[in-house]
Amino acid sequence: MSYKASNVWIANLSHTFKKQVKPTLSDINLSIPKGQLTALIGRSGCGKSTLLQMIAGLMIPSDGAIRIGGHTVTKPSAKWNMMFQNPSLYPWMTVRESAALGLVFAGTYKDKKDKVEDLLDMVGLSELKDENVQKLSGGQQQRVALARSLATEPEVLLLDEPFSALDAFTRTTLQNEVAQICHDQGITMVMVTHDIDEAVAMADNVIIMSQNPGEIVGDLKVNFSYPRDRNSEEFIILKEKLFGEFEKIDQAKQKELLEMA
Amino acid sequence: MSQSTLPSKSSLSRITNGFNSLPTGVQGFVNATIGMGILLFFWWVGGLLIANNPDTEAFAGFAPGSAFVALWALITNGELWGTIYSSLYRILNGLFWGIVIGVPVGILVGYFIRVRQIANMPLQFLRMISPLAWMPISVLAFESWDNAIIFLLVMATLWPILFGTAHGVQRIDPNWFKVARNLGADGYQMLRRIILPAIGQDVFAGIRLAIGVAWVVLVPAEYLGVTSGLGYAINDARDTLDYGKLAAVVVVIGAIGYMLDFIAVKLLKRYSWHAG
Ligand SMILES: Nc1ncnc2c1ncn2[C@@H]1O[C@H](COP(=O)(O)OP(=O)(O)OP(=O)(O)O)[C@@H](O)[C@H]1O
Ligand SMILES: [Mg+2]
Repeated sequence: MSYKASNVWIANLSHTFKKQVKPTLSDINLSIPKGQLTALIGRSGCGKSTLLQMIAGLMIPSDGAIRIGGHTVTKPSAKWNMMFQNPSLYPWMTVRESAALGLVFAGTYKDKKDKVEDLLDMVGLSELKDENVQKLSGGQQQRVALARSLATEPEVLLLDEPFSALDAFTRTTLQNEVAQICHDQGITMVMVTHDIDEAVAMADNVIIMSQNPGEIVGDLKVNFSYPRDRNSEEFIILKEKLFGEFEKIDQAKQKELLEMA
Repeated sequence: MSQSTLPSKSSLSRITNGFNSLPTGVQGFVNATIGMGILLFFWWVGGLLIANNPDTEAFAGFAPGSAFVALWALITNGELWGTIYSSLYRILNGLFWGIVIGVPVGILVGYFIRVRQIANMPLQFLRMISPLAWMPISVLAFESWDNAIIFLLVMATLWPILFGTAHGVQRIDPNWFKVARNLGADGYQMLRRIILPAIGQDVFAGIRLAIGVAWVVLVPAEYLGVTSGLGYAINDARDTLDYGKLAAVVVVIGAIGYMLDFIAVKLLKRYSWHAG
């Protein structure tokens, strides 16, 4: 577990929610490499969102530590930013105001106006900068949220099922774009997903989580150059491999749970 | 998708906006004129009935004809402006203090569950007391009549503003706080950039209700001690049996009340972020 080589480093993290006996997350140790996209997959309710929010500093684990680039995470920061499943835009703002919000909070918007314009161009919203966000489609709103997250130049971007509410076409486009951004800009990304396709299409590493308690049970490197052709043999083989891995772990876990009962 | 991520029009604004979705343009103007015409007709018929009944003919001044003559006199001799000024001064003061107290307290009550739990009962209790019931206490507590009346008006404006604000804060999507914290907002920025814009329309809906209540309370409050204002003018006209003038002041009260409400609706729309 090399701490220097990784951007997000998690040691012995466990979490039990208030008024609960069983831990939701148990003894998680992770070292997430810099500048790469790491996907976190696992069944619904296994604690993926909880773990991500802890990395973002929005929740404090009952045990263990999280460090990002040498800083211990204790509270939210513009350096590690989280993008939610739901774009959560503020309906009284324009597209530009939304994207600039993090910079406004930091007091640096005046110096970085161009940055916001460039980002909005990059996510394909050049024409809509002055529109109220309520006029946008779901996919366009999610792009605004992406621009907003990138504007503060985070070292780490955490994505919690960011595309799950989108239609298949928009989803595929955004998946490719985000993976591209990750590698072009060298941002470390951690992405929660339900979707094996999405994981294989985007990730450099896949981490598999199991349930009750949530723990890390496996990982897989995806050495596959971009852009990834989803119809290629390589892609399909990787997908099956990941699926197999997931099933195997899941079955072992089920069995273990049955034996315990 | 966009429907599910952005909250729909609140029930409060739907109630308060109901009457404003009138047709605009020429048609709207024609219909409004018809409406006022009907009102005037009933007034005129009422005036005739009063004048032709031996028991009530002394009150014939209430009819539209003499009321408009009296109104014209009030306007031309300048008496009206001082009267309106006094009343507006009190109303605006009452609103000002209602906002200055109601908005911050409303935010605290809406934001902190603990504050809400502690404050709810006493506030609901105080709210149910008619503003006019404070009259004796107000007269004792304030040296000037003006301030006593303003206090009564604050007791009228405070509740709709406070509860409107608190309701608005409670309705804020919890994700909005999370996202803002995540983007590095501190407490002040949260208030200035997220909470205040989010509740703008709830605050102004509260202010609109407050204006309505305060305007109703103003007239009886001005029966108190003071020698100026619309309520005083009504009382004075009654005492001098000048029923034309009395009816004229009633018209003025209605007209100004309508204008105040109109301004409140404009502000409400200006600070409302709901689409459509
Ligand atoms: N504030 C909370 N208090 C108590 N339990 C909670 C709280 N938040 C989440 N949980 C529980 O913790 C577990 C993990 O929740 P979490 O949202 O992290 O799951 P997830 O893996 O993201 O699921 P999904 O894939 O459905 O989004 C769930 O069983 C959930 O009920
Ligand atoms: Mg989740």
